[in-house]
Amino acid sequence: MSSYDWRGFPVGMRALFGIPGLVMISSFLGFGAFVRSLGLQVDLGWYTTLFIWALPGQVVFLTMLAQGAGLIAIALAVTLTAVRLLPMVMLVLSKSRLEGQPRWPEYLAAHLIAITLWVIADRSLDRVPREQRLPWVMGIGTAMILAMLMTLTAGFYLSEALPPLVAIALVFMTPTFFGLSLVGGASYAFDYLAIGLAAALTPVGMIYFPQVDLLFAGVVGGLAAFLLLHPRRRRRR
Amino acid sequence: MTVHSVPDWLLVLLIGGMSTYCWRLAGVVLVRRLDPHGSALMLVRAIATGLVAALVTKLMIQPPGVLATTDIANRFIALGIGLALMVTLRRHQPLAIVAALLTLVCLEAIGLRLT
Repeated sequence: MSSYDWRGFPVGMRALFGIPGLVMISSFLGFGAFVRSLGLQVDLGWYTTLFIWALPGQVVFLTMLAQGAGLIAIALAVTLTAVRLLPMVMLVLSKSRLEGQPRWPEYLAAHLIAITLWVIADRSLDRVPREQRLPWVMGIGTAMILAMLMTLTAGFYLSEALPPLVAIALVFMTPTFFGLSLVGGASYAFDYLAIGLAAALTPVGMIYFPQVDLLFAGVVGGLAAFLLLHPRRRRRR
Repeated sequence: MTVHSVPDWLLVLLIGGMSTYCWRLAGVVLVRRLDPHGSALMLVRAIATGLVAALVTKLMIQPPGVLATTDIANRFIALGIGLALMVTLRRHQPLAIVAALLTLVCLEAIGLRLT
């Protein structure tokens, strides 16, 4: 029975330095500018980063708050954007948790997992020793939150100062990174089909189910791809 | 109860934090019941992949902030070049990302408008 090796924590923190960190920083610079454009104070950006820690949910929360929406309506809208965290948490934990170990690190790691972390972990965790994986996830997640608090503050105060073409490149980095990561991380035929089907269904969702367009396209596309092409267990020859 | 009778941080924690964490918690609970190499997690993976693909597509069609000033054709050309490099150069991601960003910046700089 092995237990968690916490030397993985600083290794995970260092993993932020590179492309993933740049991508998140660019998206949070934009988020800081967005908080300012709503006429809100920077501290609301900090609280959403600490307590929600999923950019789409943060954007929905602050937009509705600034518009004076009811608290129940805000909670419902945020929870709809958060459904996608369920598969991400399951996938990262299935690769990193240890059986028969204390569970508090799992509850903490669950709060730190977001899309970017899943995308990075999907490819990086295989090179991390099993006992170090959950500490590694917590390390990179903690480093991300700290870096993002600083970045969104910078974005809040610098939002007007960037040349337009630089700002365009920064905002474009997020969809580019996610799109290329999906294709780069695809290892089964159903991965490619899920990407294609979900992308094709997105405009349909945007027209007919605007409140849940991403859920509709992602779940229907992913489910169909799995049912059509999921790998059956290979028999040993 | 009004929005202003509680401090801001508590409001964000209760309304935003709780409605987000419930799904994360469900993930922690559910993952213990699944075989890490079984087909149930393959389905979870397919759905997660689909969700991110949908997010990318939506950001391309309906981009946030200053990206909305760019031409949709230019955005798709730039992403297409990034994807093509990713496939041909077999996972050299940093290069592919830089190429996609440079493509969009150049197309916008020369003012190409296909739509």
